[in-house]
Amino acid sequence: MTFRLKVKNAETGATVEMELDDDNTVDEMIESAATFWNKDMGAYVLRKGKKVLRGGSTLKESGVMAEDVLELIPDPEGG
Amino acid sequence: MEERVLPGAADQDRFDRSRRVGWLDLESVFRSRVLMLGAGALGNEVAKCLALSGFGRVTVVDMDHVVGSNLNRCLFFSDEDARSRSSKAEVVARGIERLSPETRARAIVGRLEDLPDGLYKEFDVVLGCLDNIGARIHANSRAYMARRPYIDGGMEGFSGKVMVCLPPDGPCVQCGMNRSHAKVAGLRFSCTGKGVVFHEPRLAAEITTTSIVSAVMVRECLKVVSGRADMALRNTLYYDGQRNVAEELEVPLDPRCPNHPAKVLQVSENHITSGSVQ
Repeated sequence: MTFRLKVKNAETGATVEMELDDDNTVDEMIESAATFWNKDMGAYVLRKGKKVLRGGSTLKESGVMAEDVLELIPDPEGG
Repeated sequence: MEERVLPGAADQDRFDRSRRVGWLDLESVFRSRVLMLGAGALGNEVAKCLALSGFGRVTVVDMDHVVGSNLNRCLFFSDEDARSRSSKAEVVARGIERLSPETRARAIVGRLEDLPDGLYKEFDVVLGCLDNIGARIHANSRAYMARRPYIDGGMEGFSGKVMVCLPPDGPCVQCGMNRSHAKVAGLRFSCTGKGVVFHEPRLAAEITTTSIVSAVMVRECLKVVSGRADMALRNTLYYDGQRNVAEELEVPLDPRCPNHPAKVLQVSENHITSGSVQ
């Protein structure tokens, strides 16, 4: 099933609408959003509300639904 | 026997203010053994907090040497350390003992991947002050296998993160990783070291973020060694210093994570909903 949702860029506040199938994975979404915003190489996570979505899971498994607003946030790797 | 109170005695007690924290078990803090992995920016600040909090024994592991560009965010490093290419672990260990004469600090100069098997079991808690994902995965899994609490900190510019892993329960650092982590897992942020591939950080390390992340790490460590893990972070704390926002986000246990074999078995026999074993 195809549906639309929004992804917000936590660093800039910009949003992008994505059209997805429920068998798309969270990894694919992260990659697409990071590429769209020309993000630097590095680790990112996608959150829905108060939860970080698991990379390998499908949107269906993650409970992601049409009209959801997800947020792409950098995962700090430095020390 | 009658107790005697001496005027001004509280002011002579180095830990008087700590003793006023009801849940803090200072005797356990004094007895505790901490393994601190990484002696960079985060490691310096964590070491400062460990020393001033009175942790009894701290072992510092780092393979790098001090360079000039470390000096704007590393309390214990000096120009002389940079000129003489001193070992970060040794400088930080000396700094800990200078701040807290009762603390015994030991330096291990080398890669954490080369630490002997069984070393993690010698400690009560492990603190990850690391600069790359590969090392985090390694430290996290070794701590998980040894059933030792692992407190991981990460930062980048004004963003920071702290995760507390309490094996055998709950998710671990690796549970929160995805394909974007895998792509940079073998790369390091650091500016020195042998046999490493460098990659340009998105943002430079920054001391105010470092201070906040390290303070949270050591505070959670105090809770754990005081037997108050019930008060510790159960989710991951994300800090955004540009907006001054700190938020706890849930990282669900990943049934495919290699650190949770028992959970994988359960999952194959049952069903998973929203990342938890039902």
